[in-house]
Amino acid sequence: MREPPSRPPAAPPGGPRRLSRRRLLQAGVAAGLVAGGSALAFVRTRGYELPAGTTLAAFTPWQYLVVQQAARRIVAPDLPGDASIPSADDLDVAGFVDGWVARMDPTMRRDLGRFLGYVEHLAPLGAGCASRFTRLGAADQDAVLASIESSSSDLLRAGFDGLRALVFLGYYRDARTWGIAGYDGPLVNRPAGGWR
Amino acid sequence: MTTGAFLRGRDLSGDLSLEVDAVVVGTGAGGSVALRELARAGLDAVAFEEGAWSTSKDFDQREDRMLPLLFQDMGGRSTEDMGIRVLQGRGVGGSTVHNTNLCKRTPPAILELWARKYGVTGASAADMAPAFEAIERDLSVTEMTAAMRNANNEVLRKGCEALGWKGAPLKHNRVGCQQSGFCELGCSYDAKQNALKVVLPQAVAAGARVYADVEVTGIDHDGASVQGIRGVVRGPDGAVRATVKARARVVVLGASAVGSAALARRSGVPDPFGQLGKGLRLHPGGVVAGRFEKTIEGWHGIPQSYECTEHLSFEEGSDRRVWIVPAFAHPIGAASSMPGFGAAHMAAMRAYPNLAVLTAMVHDETRGEVLAADDGRPIIKYVMSDADRVQLAKGLAACARLLLAAGAREVTIPAIPPRKVTSVAELEALDFSFVRPHAVPLTAVHPMGSMRLGDDPKASVVTSMGEHHQLKGLFVSDGSLFPTSLGGPPQISIYAFALHLAPHAVARAKKT
Repeated sequence: MREPPSRPPAAPPGGPRRLSRRRLLQAGVAAGLVAGGSALAFVRTRGYELPAGTTLAAFTPWQYLVVQQAARRIVAPDLPGDASIPSADDLDVAGFVDGWVARMDPTMRRDLGRFLGYVEHLAPLGAGCASRFTRLGAADQDAVLASIESSSSDLLRAGFDGLRALVFLGYYRDARTWGIAGYDGPLVNRPAGGWR
Repeated sequence: MTTGAFLRGRDLSGDLSLEVDAVVVGTGAGGSVALRELARAGLDAVAFEEGAWSTSKDFDQREDRMLPLLFQDMGGRSTEDMGIRVLQGRGVGGSTVHNTNLCKRTPPAILELWARKYGVTGASAADMAPAFEAIERDLSVTEMTAAMRNANNEVLRKGCEALGWKGAPLKHNRVGCQQSGFCELGCSYDAKQNALKVVLPQAVAAGARVYADVEVTGIDHDGASVQGIRGVVRGPDGAVRATVKARARVVVLGASAVGSAALARRSGVPDPFGQLGKGLRLHPGGVVAGRFEKTIEGWHGIPQSYECTEHLSFEEGSDRRVWIVPAFAHPIGAASSMPGFGAAHMAAMRAYPNLAVLTAMVHDETRGEVLAADDGRPIIKYVMSDADRVQLAKGLAACARLLLAAGAREVTIPAIPPRKVTSVAELEALDFSFVRPHAVPLTAVHPMGSMRLGDDPKASVVTSMGEHHQLKGLFVSDGSLFPTSLGGPPQISIYAFALHLAPHAVARAKKT
């Protein structure tokens, strides 16, 4: 194996940047400039319709829909058509994340909201898509998420990792997903026939 | 003697005002021992804990329910730049409730270093031996037998054996272990001999009171002596439901290297030499996964029972500063550790039963810092040094080599893109220069060193007796004390130092 260098290599062009939460806020401000401009503010408040009966604890409707659609892609099935694999919608991952975020520290909640603004409004542009995230097809959404995941910005990658973690939390918490991982679940309160 | 009790702040019907001999902030390894010793000395001692008071009945082995119950920020705490996840306990018993019960004494070489370079006196291996012996007896510390070694740990043992690397069984503090594998979510079987089960009940039996649900928001002082603490009880919506005030001659901080330093900073504790909160070590670790033909099911059994110390030296500046142990997570944690998303990620999750996972923790020399935000929340600044990044890369490479030596068909270093190798030749060709925070997922579970021991007030925060250099009556009794990383699990060191230093807090509290 090639020994790790005694000093790490120079940062690649454009990164890595060590970004603080303050800079995330700055990134959020950039997203806010897009989302908060008068024309876009109009767009932003229109066209975000929640599924009937949805009540929110922390998210605004547009944030909920970004998470809902991102979740569909983040836990997209490896075996499409396999009815044994629950979808993100089946498990209401976005609803769970909303409830979880409601209990988060306000600073973290604010940071996440700004990151979602980036996903919705700015990231598609970076991935060559001229529409906001929630209006894209699945393939384009995958491209947008992949572009954030491999971004040269440490902070954007960290933000994506946080979003990913929330979605996995909402998905793999449910016993209906444990068969995917071959996991037999907790021993406490285990049903007689097992969890799966 | 007062009547000891476990109490819940949420049950308070109004504001609480107390006048006591001593207050302890935090109820983990350090705080629990300090509280017990104060109470056993006949003092009126009260501990305040930010989180809930839970018992084994509450631990249902579900990640989504235990993360909010047992971890700070619901498991989402991280360094300010979000490059390292920092898992810390919350609730009565602190991190001893969710830790994996590893019991190692402070290495004598570390104690010698602290004496030689950091001005710590009275804490040689001989000085500390009685405290270690007493704590190990209290916590029923024993070596884990081969029968307790699960498949994931057996992989590490086999890898060490195949490579001729140094490896050994670890000691733990469990009695009646069911080997369920859910240690990091609290023990449903009450097998952990920890602060929650052993030390705090001893403190309560000696007359101490333990208040859960109380967030201490400030240390009251006049710049020369402590006067007590103030705090709040919050409702589920975060609104203040009651205020708490306790006057005391002694305040002992046992709220972790992050929590204690942040509280001291937000309280305006004197810091004439700019030492408070500085020197934070995190002992950060990254993981490597090996896919085996056979089933591993690493979530079953005791999570960590074997260690590899081939690459671990305690000399400062050493080029061998990596401790390797198994690391396995339940599905949510595992999913978050695996790179990618979508169909490829789900396909990777299907290999979960066949994975063995090792972690390389860096005996770090990076000097981080704990600050307090305007709202009092801790801010963890930590930018990994170049030297530590090299150690991390070497550690991940060593994990990969161990997994291959133990028979892994494929080894993955989780990164974007993931680095996969199937042979030593491929591993040797791999360029590890990509390894750094943000490029690989890193987790830290052993913060230390933000309020260091030492006799020189210009280079430390508390004296070798654990008392703040400038603020009489303020003591520290947690991992904040350690001038450097320990290179291993700190719980026994924290318990032992708390016991070793407690007589000084007792003596201060008894002085009128």
